[in-house]
Amino acid sequence: MHRLSGYRPGLVDNATGLISREIFVNEDIYAQEQERVFARSWLFVGHESQIPNPGDFFLSRMGEESVILCRDRKGKIHVFLNSCRHRGMKVCRYDDGNTTVFTCPYHGWSFGTDGALAGVPFFREAYHSELDRSKYGLIEVAQLCNYKGTIWANWDASAPSFHEYLGEFHRFLDLILDGWDGREGQAELLGGVQKWIIPCNWKWPAENFSGDTYHNISHRSVDLVGAGPSGQSRRDYGELNVARKLHVTIPDRGHQTITYALPRDYQPQAAYQNSPEVAEYFRHCEEERRRRPGANSRLIGAPGEIFPNVALLPRQPRTLAVWHPVSAHQTEVWRFFFVDRDAPRAVKNFLRDYYIRYSGPAGMTEQDDMENWNYAHAASRGVIARRHPYTYEMGMGYAVENYEFEGLRMPGRVVDLTKAQASEEPMRNLYKRWAEFMEADNWDDLMTWRHVSAQAAQ
Amino acid sequence: MSGPVNIRTLAAGTRVVLASGAEAEIVSNPHDGVWLFARYLPAEGDPAGAGEEEMIFAQDVVEVRG
Ligand code: FES
Ligand SMILES: [Fe+2]
Repeated sequence: MHRLSGYRPGLVDNATGLISREIFVNEDIYAQEQERVFARSWLFVGHESQIPNPGDFFLSRMGEESVILCRDRKGKIHVFLNSCRHRGMKVCRYDDGNTTVFTCPYHGWSFGTDGALAGVPFFREAYHSELDRSKYGLIEVAQLCNYKGTIWANWDASAPSFHEYLGEFHRFLDLILDGWDGREGQAELLGGVQKWIIPCNWKWPAENFSGDTYHNISHRSVDLVGAGPSGQSRRDYGELNVARKLHVTIPDRGHQTITYALPRDYQPQAAYQNSPEVAEYFRHCEEERRRRPGANSRLIGAPGEIFPNVALLPRQPRTLAVWHPVSAHQTEVWRFFFVDRDAPRAVKNFLRDYYIRYSGPAGMTEQDDMENWNYAHAASRGVIARRHPYTYEMGMGYAVENYEFEGLRMPGRVVDLTKAQASEEPMRNLYKRWAEFMEADNWDDLMTWRHVSAQAAQ
Repeated sequence: MSGPVNIRTLAAGTRVVLASGAEAEIVSNPHDGVWLFARYLPAEGDPAGAGEEEMIFAQDVVEVRG
């Protein structure tokens, strides 16, 4: 008997809600998704506050590959593949810094911060001045977008713009990037980036952050010790008593999240009770937010996922995570934490302590999650285990379109979890999109929304 | 023959002698240990080559004039 290799339609079966374990553990599928998913998707690279000055750089990743996020001498932001055009050596081996040139350690080729090949040793003597240096600048991404300070990049020139890719899901990302008082784009990165490697496929964290409310039980111990910012539970959950708890999925984009829709006459609930100063800061911000026009004042964010590998957690803690694929069986997690730029120092310090207590390799909640993913992955690799698909049947057929709560309309397809507690609609949405990427030969086939609007116009 | 020159330590304004015999004055040092940005000084018999700013490769620097 031989194992079927590579991706094939049917591994993700939307009709039955069954998904093969192969998509997590099969090394051929992993290799295919580097090309079909990661080389075509918009990926999160970093935040502009990491490179405020000309010459600043931050070493990031896109899929498996090392990239340099940098600001050139003229102030323009670039993302380059971190690989010399001569023999591929990494031209930058620092996590971050400031430089005038990226000089390759191997034979000494030197590239400007705009990517241009500037220096070639023995250019006159060995190359007889014949090498066309303009052909060998650093390889630059096809598209780049600065969205409210976050930098996103795409290797595929035929992909839609980041705004179009994000679609209506932007309002959930905005919950992180806008100020807590509702002002646009006030977020700043707090401290460095936490990075660590976990022994599981990248889709484990991706599906968990898509909106797995079913696994709350595995965080029971964190809730019991009261690691949250009010000394109870792991978060402030006051709004749970009054809000509608929803799964929102954007089917044609593959993004999905949990969110809380607040009633129109909502009164802010007590939060951050461990510190009167912090509690007062957020009370004031909530008040300001409600005064500002815009639908987001009635949304409280919760875990979500931007296809394919960026997770958002807009509130407690306020963070973006990237699940960088390393192999079928390994993922490098990068977690970026955010605060309001103008928040008082004491608030930033309080949040830093809370964030670290919650998230990252030493964070209590994140440790619970990693245990689950790591052991689930390991226990799914064997030949017997692979024969048995996972079930994603929970709540099939319960999503609705045009969901509205007291005048607040939600995009996409929505499952109301207020009573149901959980559904697997977000995971089905993630894997449906993933399968579309694995099967589509070009971006035109992936932009189904354009075909719909073209048909409507006819 | 003297040993290799550590170009990382050279400040802007320093004059260096190159393997070709030409002399150059450092304009800026990216401190990568591989390159210098320098301006050629007028050479005997080739005043035209002077003034041009170039990237100078570390292995081309044979002597530091100070
Ligand atoms: S590999 Fe970079 S100069 Fe040869
Ligand atoms: Fe969790």
